[in-house]
Amino acid sequence: MLSIPSDIWQDMIEHARALDPHECCGILAGTDDHVTMQYRITNILARMHDEADLAHFDQAKLSDLKNLTPEERADVAFQMDAQEMSLAQKDIRQKGMTLKAFYHSHTFSPARPSLTDVTIAMEFENYRERLNIPEPYHVIISLEDKERPVIRAYRIQESQATEIPVQRRSLPV
Amino acid sequence: MITVRIPTPLRPMTEGKSEVEGKGTTIGELIDQLNAAHPGFKDRVCDERGEIRRFINVYLNEEDIRFLTGKDTPVKDGDEVSIVPAIAGGTHG
Repeated sequence: MLSIPSDIWQDMIEHARALDPHECCGILAGTDDHVTMQYRITNILARMHDEADLAHFDQAKLSDLKNLTPEERADVAFQMDAQEMSLAQKDIRQKGMTLKAFYHSHTFSPARPSLTDVTIAMEFENYRERLNIPEPYHVIISLEDKERPVIRAYRIQESQATEIPVQRRSLPV
Repeated sequence: MITVRIPTPLRPMTEGKSEVEGKGTTIGELIDQLNAAHPGFKDRVCDERGEIRRFINVYLNEEDIRFLTGKDTPVKDGDEVSIVPAIAGGTHG
């Protein structure tokens, strides 16, 4: 279970809407199942003009991305800025919290992990324990219905995505 | 020797190996030495200005070299260097 406070829940939706049609991405941190911190991370794809910077993507996705302009690539994919991701991880450690989830938006498709999401999450699994990072959940914000955004969370293990309950937590009055 | 862990996207440069051994007194020297052993390696890790590409983090043991002294970070025998792409993904289709 992942419990997200309503202010962070709302800010993730605002982040997704602000960048639409580009995908947004970020990090959630907290303790136990409770998210208490959010880090917006830059999706650097629109700025990447060198195809060597697309090396992270699987062959099928890479073939699609190569046919698009950098701006168009950010509509159908995201690549976190590695430096911002690392700074967020450092801040999380210094605050004694735990990285709970990576989030990103799908601006025209459902809140389900794509094959690319699963492949890259599994790639990250290869490093995570060695770098002392706990297993993250993967949260997707769908703007498929612009009026009714949907947020879902998943555990991705052994190339399988399993939905986990996600709760919008009211803030204390 | 220094152990360097290679992510899947860069393994075509290392004949498919997930770990290679390298030498050098700094991260920059290590990358240059790996480029000599695996031509093209540096271009995949560094951009045209010679900086680590924006989608990659390089860790010395468990610390990001950006929080040490970047490519001037000293390395020694027995160290482990991990090249780790930041999280990415994309929608269907």
